[in-house]
Amino acid sequence: MSSKAYALYKKDLNSELRTRYAVNSLVMFIIVAISVILFSIGNEKITQSLTSGLFWVVIFFSAMSGLSRAFVAEEERGTSLTLHLIASPSTVFSGKLIFNLILVFCMNTIVAVLFSILFEAFIIRNFALFAVAFVFGNIGLAVASTIIAAIISKAGAKGTLYPVLSFPILLPLILTCVQLTLLSNQGADFEAAKFELAIVFCYDVIMLTGSYMLFDFVWKD
Amino acid sequence: MRNKYVFGGFIIVLFLGFMAYLFTQSNIKYENDFAKVKSQDKIVKATGSWVKEKSYEIDSQNRLFSFYMVDNKGNQMKVLFNGTMPNNFESAKSVVVTGEYKDGCFRASNILTKCPSKYEGQNVENMKTSNL
Repeated sequence: MSSKAYALYKKDLNSELRTRYAVNSLVMFIIVAISVILFSIGNEKITQSLTSGLFWVVIFFSAMSGLSRAFVAEEERGTSLTLHLIASPSTVFSGKLIFNLILVFCMNTIVAVLFSILFEAFIIRNFALFAVAFVFGNIGLAVASTIIAAIISKAGAKGTLYPVLSFPILLPLILTCVQLTLLSNQGADFEAAKFELAIVFCYDVIMLTGSYMLFDFVWKD
Repeated sequence: MRNKYVFGGFIIVLFLGFMAYLFTQSNIKYENDFAKVKSQDKIVKATGSWVKEKSYEIDSQNRLFSFYMVDNKGNQMKVLFNGTMPNNFESAKSVVVTGEYKDGCFRASNILTKCPSKYEGQNVENMKTSNL
């Protein structure tokens, strides 16, 4: 199963390298969003809580623009039937999840680096806490966006449905991650952030089990 | 096959309950005992009232507003607030300050004032005399 999932990931990676659809839209979105924020701030001094909020706003919307393609592309090219034949639903989901995970990690690392260069208030004082929050937050984001992409791939208005559906699902994750980013910017220790970390961890576990259970029904037409 | 859903559902319910519990824990708590506020170094909402005898101070240079607060057990603490005095501060019955206790005084990021209501009940005798 894991070798098949890896093969699916390789296939997605190859087709992504050929078309560069997701990478292009992600990079474009990140650049546009961050420069709009920079222009609108101007000389204003913004607070730490505002920057950590903006950080996750940029991540949320760039995920919306780039990650929705995972299953939509299969439907558009008419290759989803072949996938039905060659692999079990959980294998397909694993393959897509690995690809989205890597995409999310690359994207968010770029956003984090750009934020720490461009924003004076965005200084990570507790790097270990930020890294842990970042990893858990990214896993949650990737899992949620993959299952939502699978759900909307059969629907009509894909572009609008995606952010609308993901907003309530991602809201607890984003809110907690904003809090965690703020805490790591203030240099708080793990003791102060333990509840938030536990919330993000619970969210990841719930999303993982929930999406593996639901994907069978989503995939089986 | 059936087992998988039972097991998965069990995990989801378990963690959902755990998460709901954690959400209630992570919120900022109200505290009306200043001895506890002083001993812990996390952000709380301290409730008490303003000590009118020790008047407030406004430092317009540094935009600092400071005053003394007392809780119902008589513990006092100094509150520093980075900003201007709230409008109805002087008539406030009780004050709620959000922030944390550091270096001998409470650094507030927000002040809420509770004002006496305009519509407090009058007893019937007074109403009759005032109407006449």
